[in-house]
Amino acid sequence: MIKEIRIHFRKCGQVKYISHLDLMRTMTRAVRRAGIPVWYTEGFNKHPYLTFAAPLSLGVEGLSESMDIKLIQDIDMEDIVSGLNSVLPSGLEVYSAGTPVMKAGDIDKAVYRLTFPVKPKDFAAFLEQDSITVEKRTKKGGQRLIELKPFIEQGAISQKDDGSTVMEVTLPCSSTQTINPLLIVSACKNYFADKGQQHIFCDVLRLDLLDGQGNSFK
Amino acid sequence: MGYGLEDLFRLVQKPGRYTGGELNSIIKKKEEIEVRFAFCFPDLYEVGMSHLGMKLLYGLLNERQDIWCERAFMPDTDMEILMRENNIKLFSLESRDEINTFDFIGFTLQYELSYTAVLNMLELSGLPLNAADRQDTHPLVIGGGPCVCNPEPVADFFDLFALGEGEEVTLEIIDLYRRHKSKGYNKAAFLVEAAQIEGVYVPSLYRPSYNPDGTIESMTPLNGAPPKVRKRIIKDLDTSYYPDKFVVPFIDIVHDRAMSEIFRGCIRGCRFCQAGFIYRPVREKSPETINSQSRALCESTGYEEFSLSSLSTGDYSQIERLLPMLLDWAEKQQTNISLPSLRIDGFSEELVEKLNVLRRSGLTFAPEAGTQRLRDAINKNISQEEILETTRKAFSSGWTGVKLYFMMGLPTETMEDVAGIAALGQKIVDCYYANPDKPKGKGVNVSLSVSCFVPKPFTPFQWEPQDTAEILEQKQKHLRNSITTRKITLHSHDPSTSFLEGVFARGDRRLCRVIQEAFDRGCKRDAWSEHFNLNTWLDVMADLEIEPAFYANRRREYDEILPWDHLDYGITKSFLINENRNAHQSITTPHCRIDCSGCGAAVWKGGVCIDKRD
Repeated sequence: MIKEIRIHFRKCGQVKYISHLDLMRTMTRAVRRAGIPVWYTEGFNKHPYLTFAAPLSLGVEGLSESMDIKLIQDIDMEDIVSGLNSVLPSGLEVYSAGTPVMKAGDIDKAVYRLTFPVKPKDFAAFLEQDSITVEKRTKKGGQRLIELKPFIEQGAISQKDDGSTVMEVTLPCSSTQTINPLLIVSACKNYFADKGQQHIFCDVLRLDLLDGQGNSFK
Repeated sequence: MGYGLEDLFRLVQKPGRYTGGELNSIIKKKEEIEVRFAFCFPDLYEVGMSHLGMKLLYGLLNERQDIWCERAFMPDTDMEILMRENNIKLFSLESRDEINTFDFIGFTLQYELSYTAVLNMLELSGLPLNAADRQDTHPLVIGGGPCVCNPEPVADFFDLFALGEGEEVTLEIIDLYRRHKSKGYNKAAFLVEAAQIEGVYVPSLYRPSYNPDGTIESMTPLNGAPPKVRKRIIKDLDTSYYPDKFVVPFIDIVHDRAMSEIFRGCIRGCRFCQAGFIYRPVREKSPETINSQSRALCESTGYEEFSLSSLSTGDYSQIERLLPMLLDWAEKQQTNISLPSLRIDGFSEELVEKLNVLRRSGLTFAPEAGTQRLRDAINKNISQEEILETTRKAFSSGWTGVKLYFMMGLPTETMEDVAGIAALGQKIVDCYYANPDKPKGKGVNVSLSVSCFVPKPFTPFQWEPQDTAEILEQKQKHLRNSITTRKITLHSHDPSTSFLEGVFARGDRRLCRVIQEAFDRGCKRDAWSEHFNLNTWLDVMADLEIEPAFYANRRREYDEILPWDHLDYGITKSFLINENRNAHQSITTPHCRIDCSGCGAAVWKGGVCIDKRD
């Protein structure tokens, strides 16, 4: 038997500094340590078959990350959750396992929470610019100017107790179009750097992945 | 306003090198700790984390409830610049505390070109570089690893060195420190007493004097320090500590796998090889111990691969009993066993087949020299026929590539020997095409990797002059011209790094000034080829009137006092002299299991020295 299972987990804290490739290695080893009976790829370099939906950029935390495994023996979903959690390094935490409802290709958008260490008033000035552009490296090695304004004007702004600004924003995250939240971060950084503020470090947290109808990815 | 450490993580390449938090890394409560120990590896995280000795001592020290051993590595250039700009001191990965607040800073000295990195890490910690300038409130800076068999070029920077295997002596040093700390710690008094521990070398307690020709006249021990410091060994590896957990890095490191140490020492006695002498005598672990340790490690790490670690795994006397034991569970758990090229001729068909099912690590040989005469001179007892026989077998079971390691600049080497490297490569190419079952449409690739020989202390070649860079370049050219087929790929090493390595390997205390001055002029990553700058070193030595050829390219007399003569690695000088003479007459010496050659390591009455011979 081969049974596909979708595992949801959080990637928070210091593990945000590990890349997607590092995460895959870490999860592969966790699956092995937990002794979960998974299907291994055939061929020269056999390894447990793991796939991840929508990789996170280095430095970004995530609250609803997912990976799929293939079971070759039936085991209790609760045992997968507790088994993995007992062997995962701190910062990675599994909270559910179950049969996949959607296809990875159904993912259409991602919801992010960005925290900027600036006052909402100043942040509003950044948002009110006629155009918010940032350079993006293209796959061919060139540079392309991206207009971010249409993507972020719908963002919900609030203020944190420490005075910093929080924006929750939904960005495209599909096979045809993806906007990396770090582009907003660098646009913001550039804007404040021009104003003489050099120390803008923003926290980025992915809250959820959504399908075209706005349902959470399951 | 400067950046904090967290900010730096967002600015550097591969922050995973600095964040810590890996699986199996150890966090303790500071208030429950008596002794804090920073294990420092003077190279990048990826290199240091691949090192077995560090994993071993990390586990061993942390077994003790009163000790917290943490790790620190050399930051990469981008991180270092940011740390210096923002006045962030070198910190440990576990607690992120500055290591200058620790009790001990322990460096492992694995290669000579890491010496300036040691100074850099001390400077990044905000500590005085010279031991004499560090006070009672500063951490003790201690060193271990193979280079401490001649630590004289870095003697000024260390408070003490631990010679030989560190498991027991490190704990003895720490226990003595605790006793001193409880009754009012004074560094000088501590060091005098520490020098009485076997295996502890306190360089400040030895005063060198020099002859007019620059050689050493004497090395005088002070304050009751022993005239000779003997290295430590662990006699029984079956009962000694071995970690059942490794820290599992998030980022990809050089050797990212579980490792089981199967024996220490080497029976061979290849005359160029320092490791073959300084780790004597050969002591094996039982297959049962190796099996259970390997299995525990794989289960606690989840590693998909593990390797058997030793100087010459094919010489493990019970390999044929061990491998089936390992394969039994490794196959079920889909774990690969990575083996270096063994002398597979002795293996059963079934075993060879089973190993082939697992991942192939590549077929490699180390003939080290191109002709039988030179192989005899260096006591590398592998014949051309053995190499060809094994490659023939490998080719007939489908291999298409072979990698061979050689050294250039070996004592007694001639241009004929150099051309012999190419000739051996050619014979292997011919051997491939002579095989009737060779895979269709596939060519063979024979890779020749040729490094430059560096004479090392405690080897029979410790008196030999190292070839100059000019001679090595001529030899390299001759070798290139001797290769006539494109089936052979040649990789040659840069003679200039080997030259500096040669200076340090047999250097004395007068080189401390050179290393410090070169460091002040910006040399701090000499082990990384892109940062290595020989010219700076040559300028420094010229300015300080130090002649590098005196250390690297000079033939020593047998009766000269060598900078490491007050250190005792069990190998007697008379044995080494005898071996040196044999080398010049191309007389080979049998390995330890055939016959005892009386090297001196039998003083420990352990391992192969007391085993029954075949």
